[in-house]
Amino acid sequence: MQVTLKIFRFNPEKDRKFHYETYTLEAEPTERVLDLLERVKGYHDGTFTFRRSCAHGVCGSDAMRINGRNRLACKTLVQDVGERITIEPLLGLRVIKDLVVDMEPFFENYRKVLPYFINESPLPEDGRERLQSPEERARFDDTTKCILCAACTTSCPSFWASDDYLGPAALVAAHRFIFDSRDEAAAQRLQIVAETSGLARCHTVFNCTMACPREIQITKAIGELKMATITGKLD
Amino acid sequence: MASERNVSLLRGLRYKGEGPMLTFILHRIGGLGIVLFVTVHILASFLGGKGGQFINAIYEHWLFQIFVYFCALFHAINGLRITILDLWPALLEYQREAIWLEWAVFLPVYGIAVFIILRTALGG
Repeated sequence: MQVTLKIFRFNPEKDRKFHYETYTLEAEPTERVLDLLERVKGYHDGTFTFRRSCAHGVCGSDAMRINGRNRLACKTLVQDVGERITIEPLLGLRVIKDLVVDMEPFFENYRKVLPYFINESPLPEDGRERLQSPEERARFDDTTKCILCAACTTSCPSFWASDDYLGPAALVAAHRFIFDSRDEAAAQRLQIVAETSGLARCHTVFNCTMACPREIQITKAIGELKMATITGKLD
Repeated sequence: MASERNVSLLRGLRYKGEGPMLTFILHRIGGLGIVLFVTVHILASFLGGKGGQFINAIYEHWLFQIFVYFCALFHAINGLRITILDLWPALLEYQREAIWLEWAVFLPVYGIAVFIILRTALGG
């Protein structure tokens, strides 16, 4: 089949404003959008710039807007988006070049929620693992799946309005550690997410849940955080 | 040098968030509509006289009533849905069904009201 790719282009060394360029390619319906982007770069315009790494939906580097919605290019098949495909960078972040955006505001928000294990208690007597029951592990299983692709945060109208907002990905990271029975900094993190730039700015729009390539129930996780900040309970 | 933040109202509105995002946008429009109604109401009372009567005529017009009723009813029902989902996060897994239910409640109630407004305004 013949596919028409309309791609957002911006070269900071030449352009004052972005523009779109159109490429017509032969493609199989089962090919991924990432394959088409590789072909554009390899055979049409070597200056075309985008991020990719593992190409298998694990590293999260090729999140972009495909036909108006955030997706991973490596997990999106041509047959799922049709013959006319519009490719644009993620919303709400500065464009460095073409589809490459400045992820620093995203990671700055991520770091604010202390996204690492905190436990100052002495190790168990055998000096090995801090044990956890399967039920305790299951409590935060969904939010361990995040790959930090930013598809959720950059689909959120609250983040578009202000990049001070922690955003869904940071809140997912907070959820992952707050509900971990082995972690001891839940109260500290709940205080961080309860600030005005945190949970209060989530308006339950659901764009994040729909954009997540790992199918994490993000709005549900944020809902659980909201209840935890109100009740102080983690069950 | 990189560009400014890649976002604008128009680009945000073009994001394909489907049903949930449509309710989010309509909720905001509803809120603004209610503020507009209250503002013109207060303004009409404050001004009085011919100016007040002119503004009264605007918000008493059936077209404005249909608009304001949409704003108030949608804002209320959608707000109720969000409040319920926020209070019981386990229900968030059924958010799509909750939106269908919201439309199932909103459309007949709004339809009846529009019918009555139109019959009163145009029926003589």
